[in-house]
Amino acid sequence: MSARGTTIASMVVLVVLAAAPFLSPLVHLDVSIVSEVLVTAIAAMSVNLLLGYTGLPAFGNAAYFGLGAYGAALSAKYFHVSFLLAILIGTAAALLGGLLLGPFLLRRRGIYFGLLSIAFGQVFYFIAYRYTDVTGGEDGMNFPRPPLGLPFANVTVNETAFYYVALAAFVLALLAFRAIVASPFGRTLVAIRQNEVRVRYLGLNSDRFIFVALLISATMAGVGGALFALLINFAYPLELDWHQSGYFVLMMILGGAGTVWGPLLGSAIFVIGKDIISTITPLWQIFLGALFVACVLGFPRGIVGTFSAVLRRRAHVADVDDANAAFDPHAPVEVGRGV
Amino acid sequence: MIEHLAPQLVNGLVLGAFYAIVALGLSLIMNLTGTINMAHGSFMTLAGYLAYTMVLRGTSFWFALLAAPLIAVLVGVLVERTLVRPLYAREPFYSLLMTFGLSLMAEEVYRLIWGSNGVPFSPPAALDGTANLGFMVFPAFRIFIAAVLVVAIVALALFLTRTRFGLRLRAAVQDTEMIAALGTNTQLLYAVNFGLGIFLAGIAGVLAAGMLGLSPTSGNALLMPAFVTVIIGGMGSLFGSIVGGVLIGLAISLTTLFVPAASEVSMYVLMALVLMIRPRGLFGEEGLFG
Repeated sequence: MSARGTTIASMVVLVVLAAAPFLSPLVHLDVSIVSEVLVTAIAAMSVNLLLGYTGLPAFGNAAYFGLGAYGAALSAKYFHVSFLLAILIGTAAALLGGLLLGPFLLRRRGIYFGLLSIAFGQVFYFIAYRYTDVTGGEDGMNFPRPPLGLPFANVTVNETAFYYVALAAFVLALLAFRAIVASPFGRTLVAIRQNEVRVRYLGLNSDRFIFVALLISATMAGVGGALFALLINFAYPLELDWHQSGYFVLMMILGGAGTVWGPLLGSAIFVIGKDIISTITPLWQIFLGALFVACVLGFPRGIVGTFSAVLRRRAHVADVDDANAAFDPHAPVEVGRGV
Repeated sequence: MIEHLAPQLVNGLVLGAFYAIVALGLSLIMNLTGTINMAHGSFMTLAGYLAYTMVLRGTSFWFALLAAPLIAVLVGVLVERTLVRPLYAREPFYSLLMTFGLSLMAEEVYRLIWGSNGVPFSPPAALDGTANLGFMVFPAFRIFIAAVLVVAIVALALFLTRTRFGLRLRAAVQDTEMIAALGTNTQLLYAVNFGLGIFLAGIAGVLAAGMLGLSPTSGNALLMPAFVTVIIGGMGSLFGSIVGGVLIGLAISLTTLFVPAASEVSMYVLMALVLMIRPRGLFGEEGLFG
């Protein structure tokens, strides 16, 4: 798609998102569901940075997501902090988690990195699960949604207000994400995916780049997690579980790995699909599993990725092998385009 | 306290043998094809439920112990040939995702067939009592479990080192292209190897059903310790998986005795410690799996 076409499409998406609280009742969709789409999209975006751009199988981002959720929930419940401060604390907790796990994950690449991410991520799950006195254990913990906390507008956050906070966070995350992947730092991440040995020969410490990418990813997931807890006024251990990590990966691949808008699209399909299918049948998990299988076997490049590949082909640009879309070193990623 | 120590240690060894055998199956599949089989726990659960149904229908426990894993192997090889095989040429992460999807579906299917709640699956009467080990008494079923698991591990070791097929399998792990060029049917190797991994999972699944309970998610509960086992032992090393399993079993049972709340976390602490000293695990080789 031409740069202008992409810009126009992005503008349309943003306008629709801005009007969503007024549009969603028309299609019988709860505003809170649309909020959930945005919030999980931020987490899916965090996976995108590691997996889609840096080529690391990040299968543990639920740890940071859950740390964000519990950070926000615990601080709101026990210290009665404001809405915005709860987000900040949740995010800080996720960043701390990244600082703690990063040094371990950094040492390995490829599928080993994935295995380490899965395993280490579970630590926090068991802590939340076992530390019943504070976290409520398996049952989770609920808490009242705190007031916003701006000095001039310390108002209660209703569902519409929440939506706009979530939208603001999403747009900020999206802009930050675009800036990061377009920066020399982001280019280096893509270069690491394509040929890490060469990056090292150029004198760059790839470990350090990956560590920073991991911290950014953890922070982003933390924002998503904190918002998620505040959205449902609840935090529970399964948010930290490796299944949740898998869902984020699915959203990202479904939408399109290495694309800027893919995570939002994937998250929308996942969250809204779950909402609709769960009301029809209790077998949501079968659909979900089938979606994984279909996605991997059928369209690994995701919706946005496949769409833009078709457009590129029409523009007679050489195409690459479809099968390894997310990890093929030469697969195209969107850098500096998209919004 | 000290009189609890001995049973707890033996318990830890039995638990460790479980982790080891699940990890061995995972490692077999991982080493040859790079596939991290997230559905491994689902195959354990499947074998457990099949055995449960067989015993319920009146077959003997001994028959079920062998037949249920074999049926799981059939299902496993079918899945491998149809769904996993197309992914061998692609990045290993895709097969991880695909098998994850399969495990989600399997869990729901088990829930449909056998219900969400756990079902009782007790060992046969012959193994119901306790055995006197001289220094302590211990449930006979657990001794039996340990014995079966040890036999399975020894049989696997013999198969891999003493038979022509096992030799080919190990050669294929080192260089699949070379062994294909020398005329070995690598697709057959892949299928048998996958089946072998599932068979180990199936045996563990039936035994675990008797010891740890049987529910749609019970197999998956053993999957995570098995991952940690593989990491501690070192990816690529089968021997490492055995050592790793025993270490984790002991770590978990000892923390259960002293700090029950930390029993799960202890294995991750152990994993972190091992990785600090040896980043590729105790017996992992440099270069394998990055």
